Amino acid sequence: MALSLEGHTTRAFDGDLSSLHIQAVAMGALVIEQVQLAVNAYSNWDRSTATLVLERERKINLYDAEIEEAALQLIARRQPMAQDLRAVFAIDKVVTELERAADEAKKLALAVLAESDASGFRPGAATAREARALGRVAAVMIRAALEAFDRLEPGAAASVVQQDKEMDAEYANALRRLLTHAMEDPRRLQATVEAAFIMRSLERIGDHARNIARHVGFIGGLDPTATGVLPTSLSIKN
Amino acid sequence: MDAVTVERAGINQKPSSRVSEEPVSLEAPVEAGKTVGTITVEDPIFSCRDVDVYYGEKHAIKKVGIDIGKNSVLAMIGPSGCGKSTFLRCLNRMNDTIPNARVVGSILLDGKDIHDKKQDVVQLRARVGMVFQKPNPFPKSIYENVAYGPRIHGLAGDRVELDEIVHNSLQRAGLWEEVKDRLQHPGTSLSGGQQQRLCIARTIAVNPEVILMDEPCSALDPIATARIEDLMEELRQSYAIVIVTHSMQQAARVSQRTAYFHLGDLIEVGETDRIFTNPRHRLTEDYITGRFG
Repeated sequence: MALSLEGHTTRAFDGDLSSLHIQAVAMGALVIEQVQLAVNAYSNWDRSTATLVLERERKINLYDAEIEEAALQLIARRQPMAQDLRAVFAIDKVVTELERAADEAKKLALAVLAESDASGFRPGAATAREARALGRVAAVMIRAALEAFDRLEPGAAASVVQQDKEMDAEYANALRRLLTHAMEDPRRLQATVEAAFIMRSLERIGDHARNIARHVGFIGGLDPTATGVLPTSLSIKN
Repeated sequence: MDAVTVERAGINQKPSSRVSEEPVSLEAPVEAGKTVGTITVEDPIFSCRDVDVYYGEKHAIKKVGIDIGKNSVLAMIGPSGCGKSTFLRCLNRMNDTIPNARVVGSILLDGKDIHDKKQDVVQLRARVGMVFQKPNPFPKSIYENVAYGPRIHGLAGDRVELDEIVHNSLQRAGLWEEVKDRLQHPGTSLSGGQQQRLCIARTIAVNPEVILMDEPCSALDPIATARIEDLMEELRQSYAIVIVTHSMQQAARVSQRTAYFHLGDLIEVGETDRIFTNPRHRLTEDYITGRFG
């Protein structure tokens, strides 16, 4: 069931809360594009796209600062309670997740733009293919989490958890191949480590998407453990 | 004849049968006596079951059941006319003074029915004190305002003991330092906030077990309000406190449990921590988020 941020006796409250939500969704759309651009820049080793990613990063940071300020103002002026309070809290956290996801995308762009020995770190065909595959899953996850966030449907967010498992499997495969590659030719070790960091960044974007899904569940008052949308810190990995 | 007719009903009813622990649809319709949340507490000072109040034909309170715990603050919230003040006034039989008021059900104070024929109402009101919306000191000195109760209840053997009670009560109400040099000045010469603390001192001078507060801060400025709220936190170490308030923020700040009333029904009771972050009933949610009506 979709939630509503409207219906307050004070209609200006509806406006403030909706505006906060819309801003966060708009920021999210920008981050999805940013992830796609960064993956393209890395897999095609395209410096101009990488530069574009860095330019757009400033806009994302601006969104982050503006939404945080608006959330602070809303809490101070309206003292939201119950679902409204959870919504403001969650929107602020979603924005932080988006900002961090964009930071991971930025790392891909920076790898392309790094001046030192850039050609040496250029991914081979297999690594580029894996980056594209991981990037595609990451973008799909962020999109699904954002759609649930946009429509305020806590139930829909749970599917992102399933996608995160797919992401983890893809990431493990990529790492295994990179390690094998490094063992075969130790001279490629530095480039392999660099590529592993890129894969790690894409996997982290998936984690941020999963956390966004968790925050949507929180707005709906769902117990994260009940929906399986666990916070990262509580996931026990052996 | 007494204006209030009391019928005893549901005294032997098991509390658990009235507690709904299953997940509740947020759209669940209101049904009298079907409160969401846990109405019972361990070691209650008050135990109320199936309380109905009628003002003539008007059914003001419908089958309300709730326990009130010792050493804690229970906040009662709800829109005007929801019955929260009416219910508060049941607890020390203040509704007795209203013509045509009829209270039905069981209200046990420390296990004894407050409507029992042997119950002395004056004694009951000493055990269950009340602080009102507007400070209402007697037109007497500060000292006499506090000394009056202990004197008529014979709590002091001599003047020295009475002085001590007055001193302790004013001290506990956080007013002593401000009035110790002018105890003979009229109570009405104090500021609004001080007058309200004087009324609290007057209430605690007779050793109550429960303090009822009916919007005690609505006539006070934020600083005087903060002092009363601070005082409530101290007083709950010794007393049970029930407060009716229109300020959700105040309920959230001062109470450990919150009860939401709506059109005479007790809709939801729960830990304050949860009620203001994740209430279970749609009506509670709508009220505290400002979507009511």
